[in-house]
Amino acid sequence: MELILQTLVNGILAGGILAVVALGFSLVWGIMNIINLAHGAFVMLGAYLAYVLFSAYHIDPFASVPIAFVVMFAFGYLIQRFVINFVVRAPILTTFLLTFGLSLLIVNVALLVFHGDAKAVTTVYSGSNFSIGPIVVPWVKLWTLIVALGITAAMQLFLGRTREGRAIRAMALDIGAAQLSGVRVARLYAIVFGLGAGLAGAAGVLLSLSYPLNPSMGDPFIIKAFVVCVLGGLGSVEGALVGGIVYGIIEAFGSQFISTGLPDAIALVVLLFVLIVRPTGIMGKATA
Amino acid sequence: MVCCITLLVLLGVPLLHNGYYENLFRGILMFAAMALGWNIIGGYTGYVSFGNVVFFGIGTYVSGVLSLHGIQNVWIAIPCAAVIAAVFAAILGVPILRLRGHYFGIATLGIALATQEIVANIEPLGGGTGITLQQAAWFSQYYYAMWLVCALSLLATWLIARSKLGYALVAIRENEDAASVLGINTTAYKVGAWAISATMPAAAGAVFAFSNGYIDPSVGFDVDYNVFPIVMVILGGMGTVAGPVVGAFLLTAINETLWNRYPQVHTLFFGVAIVLVVLFLPRGLLYVFGRSGGWRGFLKSLTAYRV
Repeated sequence: MELILQTLVNGILAGGILAVVALGFSLVWGIMNIINLAHGAFVMLGAYLAYVLFSAYHIDPFASVPIAFVVMFAFGYLIQRFVINFVVRAPILTTFLLTFGLSLLIVNVALLVFHGDAKAVTTVYSGSNFSIGPIVVPWVKLWTLIVALGITAAMQLFLGRTREGRAIRAMALDIGAAQLSGVRVARLYAIVFGLGAGLAGAAGVLLSLSYPLNPSMGDPFIIKAFVVCVLGGLGSVEGALVGGIVYGIIEAFGSQFISTGLPDAIALVVLLFVLIVRPTGIMGKATA
Repeated sequence: MVCCITLLVLLGVPLLHNGYYENLFRGILMFAAMALGWNIIGGYTGYVSFGNVVFFGIGTYVSGVLSLHGIQNVWIAIPCAAVIAAVFAAILGVPILRLRGHYFGIATLGIALATQEIVANIEPLGGGTGITLQQAAWFSQYYYAMWLVCALSLLATWLIARSKLGYALVAIRENEDAASVLGINTTAYKVGAWAISATMPAAAGAVFAFSNGYIDPSVGFDVDYNVFPIVMVILGGMGTVAGPVVGAFLLTAINETLWNRYPQVHTLFFGVAIVLVVLFLPRGLLYVFGRSGGWRGFLKSLTAYRV
């Protein structure tokens, strides 16, 4: 019983980061119809940014979250504007491969700069935790979850209340009508891709607090983000959050009770199960 | 025609008695067979598979298991690998090929990663440590085996492109619902196409396992081997008979040159190559040099998909 509760808590704590990763992935996929295979590389860049800021300038990783968001937003904006935009309406294979190529490029540049050995961000509070009865909760993971929830809430406000946010949602509904109403698609596409990269970067910073860093650390997150999007329902902030936490719990139980060596197999089983049983996701609306 | 002559000339490579060239051209033939396999499902049928390396991996492990049981004969391994991979593809294809677009792509990627993990956890298959294979004294037979695999793949593609099957696949690619309405059993054709496309990388993998002499999950299910063939098909031209072979030659040549000169950054260059091919040659070289494309077509294809 204690083990089950502890596993549940671990899953929920891990789910916050997954939700932020998946939110960025979901925005780009839902609005631009691009599966961004470089999303994992963006997560990795965010984590290394936190590492550099921490080890060279002693900036606390939690303070690096907004910095990473802004830097990665700018990076994503430029990539969309000057690279992906040229083929954004091409068949899916084109953008699939293009983002894969970008991922390969980014990961290998990181490998040249940071080398392949694992690095860690170790703060003074890294090891501390508290316990509720028999259940142990590391402080870092709790704060990570809180920050992740804050980021998700901020995205919800941005999409719901601001002019840009409304324009983005309009594009998702009907791009032609949005264009006729004066939405500048190329600019907003760049903003959406920037937001996706920014969220990935922020998630990477949070990740650096609990996991070791290496240039290919982001790769597993592509499949996970995809599964979370399918699980929660594509293109909604709540969907990404619920999907992320549910997936975090599934993964925690899978590695606790089945095997730690099969994360991708578990992800695939969840993906196929959801696609067959409930293709619109937990939070998605049933379509006719 | 040019392709056939080139292929016949390549039969003579082992006569040079140069290990380097034999390895190089065996690699090209291997990638050509893998690219031809991907072209059937990705190019003709329009289902973008991101997990075809799984069939290559199955091929390598069929050779590995046969070798563990004392059968060290590549000529037996090739048909076994092809049949097992085709059955595997057909069984998986029934649920997976109901998915379209991104969903199919990610599901196939998931299958490749999941199969690699599962193989790494099965102890009789060597687990994570892999299997060492006994190589034959006459090493050049692996070159001829690979040549045969590539030649048969090319022949099969040529035959399919001219058959009812080929036209049905193109119809599915262009408009699956319309094809279905016209009486094409789309599920059967898609599963058949995937099974055929599985045989080519599996056969290539069976030969590779012997020529390499050693396999483990990261060699057999190498992520790069997932993407190399796709880029080759795009570079040469999707849904064409000779395109994948042209692409395999060019990309392997480029890759080999970079590997020799800049081993440190050669994967980085590969990333750049993918980006450039996708941005500038979305329809492949055969289109640019073909009758319908030309320079005007090339320039038009550059701006066709931007916002």
